[in-house]
Amino acid sequence: MKYSGYKGKVLKINLTNRKVVTDEVTDEFARKYLGGNGFAARYLFDMVDPRIDPYDANNVVAMMTGPFQGINIPTAGKYYMATKSPLTFGYFDSVSGGFIGAQMKYAGIDGILITGKAEKPTYLFIDDDKIEFRSAEKLWGKRTGETQELIKEEDGDPNLCVSAIGPAGENLVRFACVITEYRAAGRGGVGAVMGSKNLKAIAVRGSGTNDVADHERFKKWMDWYAVEVKKVPALATGMPTYGTPALVASIGKMLGAMGSYNHQTEWFEQWELISGERLKRDHWVKDTGCPACPIACSKVFRAKEGKWKGATSEGPEFETLYSLGSMCGIADLGAIILGDISCDEWGMDTITYGVTASFIMEAYTKGLLTKEKTDGVDFKFGNDDAMIAYIEKTAKRQGLGNLMAEGSRLASRIVGGDTERFAMQAKGLEFPGHSARALRGMALGYATATRGGSHHDARPTGEYAGASDRTAVDGKPAWVIGTQQMTTIGDSLVQCHFLERLLGFTLTPKYVDMINPVTGFEYSFAELVDVAERILDLERAFNVRAGMTRKEDTLPKRTLEEPIPEGPSKGMYTDAKTLDKMLDEFYVLKGWDQKTGIPTRAKLVRVGLTDVADVLNV
Amino acid sequence: MTVVMALEKKPLIRFDMNKCAFCKICELSCAEQHYGSYGEAISRITVIRKNFTLFKCFICTRCDKRFCVPACPKNALSYRHGDIVVDERLCDSCGDCVKACPFHGIKLHPKTKMPIICDLCDGDPRCVKECPKQALSLIWLQQTRK
Repeated sequence: MKYSGYKGKVLKINLTNRKVVTDEVTDEFARKYLGGNGFAARYLFDMVDPRIDPYDANNVVAMMTGPFQGINIPTAGKYYMATKSPLTFGYFDSVSGGFIGAQMKYAGIDGILITGKAEKPTYLFIDDDKIEFRSAEKLWGKRTGETQELIKEEDGDPNLCVSAIGPAGENLVRFACVITEYRAAGRGGVGAVMGSKNLKAIAVRGSGTNDVADHERFKKWMDWYAVEVKKVPALATGMPTYGTPALVASIGKMLGAMGSYNHQTEWFEQWELISGERLKRDHWVKDTGCPACPIACSKVFRAKEGKWKGATSEGPEFETLYSLGSMCGIADLGAIILGDISCDEWGMDTITYGVTASFIMEAYTKGLLTKEKTDGVDFKFGNDDAMIAYIEKTAKRQGLGNLMAEGSRLASRIVGGDTERFAMQAKGLEFPGHSARALRGMALGYATATRGGSHHDARPTGEYAGASDRTAVDGKPAWVIGTQQMTTIGDSLVQCHFLERLLGFTLTPKYVDMINPVTGFEYSFAELVDVAERILDLERAFNVRAGMTRKEDTLPKRTLEEPIPEGPSKGMYTDAKTLDKMLDEFYVLKGWDQKTGIPTRAKLVRVGLTDVADVLNV
Repeated sequence: MTVVMALEKKPLIRFDMNKCAFCKICELSCAEQHYGSYGEAISRITVIRKNFTLFKCFICTRCDKRFCVPACPKNALSYRHGDIVVDERLCDSCGDCVKACPFHGIKLHPKTKMPIICDLCDGDPRCVKECPKQALSLIWLQQTRK
């Protein structure tokens, strides 16, 4: 290939007939779609009929890398997964830390696309050019940690990289995740789709290398990074010291915008008990990080005393402190640490599990779910025993766990009544701990995101930092589009979004300065913006074909009708009229049809997607 | 580092498991330093993670016993100025040195199949410099080399 950072090869693996086809990645394709997110969006649009059931054998699980994997560039020790989600029924991607992305590059591949369904439990083993379909019958039913351990033992190489699903994935829990080491491609149920294919794990090892285009300029960029990063307190001291739990104080206390008791309030009176400071002081064991990341925001925490003494986890991170903590009304860090590791081990997303549990708690408290339906458990807010116990039951789909395994949106439809009002999700994906009511950008962001309630489509960080007024309506659509472009490029490079404080909350020319020395594309800023828009339009087109249009770009009634009742952000919310106004402007700026939210032909042609316009028939 | 100093004292790259964050920047820097490229298989230092807190680091320790040198059937390895030096004309890539090293400090380069062993980057090890957590340090043991 002319460009660096690519191996020029994507493997199409069919589990039904065990056939492997190598697809060439051309220079033009790499330049047009960049990697990770872009590659997967294009392949999925071409390979998957978006109307199929996510568990259909024809659904594809993509595991992708970008040009940044395997090289020494900060925060790119990640890999990217995508599929049609069983939770949102649309295009879905999830990015996780792990050296497996680098190993894929070292093995000479840019990505793998898995389709079909194995007859029996199988795991994929990739060692350079060797691809094996190995039996996973002995691994079926095992949790993620043990599964990784057993595969490494069988191979004899402690350095083998393994991404595995847990029992939750096997039992098609709609928010089952994929775990590598202790990090998760958590959201949207990629693990469940793997489970539906009888695919327990993917193991990769490579003996090759990955390179950059221009060493001199790359070194200059690294030197620039080393100096500049020290000027950003969050990256220089905040994240390395406390990790993301530092946000509990800034979001929970300062802003009063940390969803609590299933978003009945956003002021968690016990915030101090689950704060980053307390975690660091009483529970910290050591720092860890994703590969190639000097920030190392991950921490190992242990409950050193109390009811859950001995519980150890890599995490919890801020989102889990919100979902298993403030949302469930639980302020015992020991329970949250145990819940965090249990979700990892059984193989499910902590955010969706916690928000679904808090949904059940509210329904139970309001008498909409009787004790009969909750297996006789007193499923009230603050019941940490129930929160912990139902992780395993959800993974096994036992009793009430079977309902929780559907996620909050489907569960609310099964429970009935007016419960969908307080199923806190957008497009079926549960909200993370960044308020849709206290941050105007996140209201529009969640509503318009391909994935729905994800904080990695539109980003909240700029509004926290004051770069965009969190109450403003004017100018917000342009801001949200900018942050979505930034995350799309990040997910295509497969790089963490935390560098946004250094490189820009929205897409900026600083991203071009970082990409060009590595790839040799010599992108202009305008071309990079087009790459982002191309990828976002492809995702949108996938969702349109799956039946999602403007009417799906909305938020739950609680978010649109109930102001935050107390605390520093008291009274804030985005009503339906304001959201509609922002949506109108958003679609115009995007070049999408205002009435339907479908990309227009003119826009698609402009970003080089004429064929997509033909398929959409616009 | 002067040659005299190297001969008088024994250098060691010390690994502090409690500080290591398993970021592998040492491995990536090592590969870049020696080959201008990036890859785990061409790194002379290797860090593995066994569980939450148990991390291990493998690198040539410059041990006094030097198991690798006599293990070579072609006499391709020798000990010079504190480093294990490979004579690539003699080496036939049998891998006996790799097996002989109890510290897992030797790998075969995946392409050239030649043994790759830490050379301390001429006394200023790149891995030590780049470690963001100061988990690696170059120390000089107060003992003369045997």
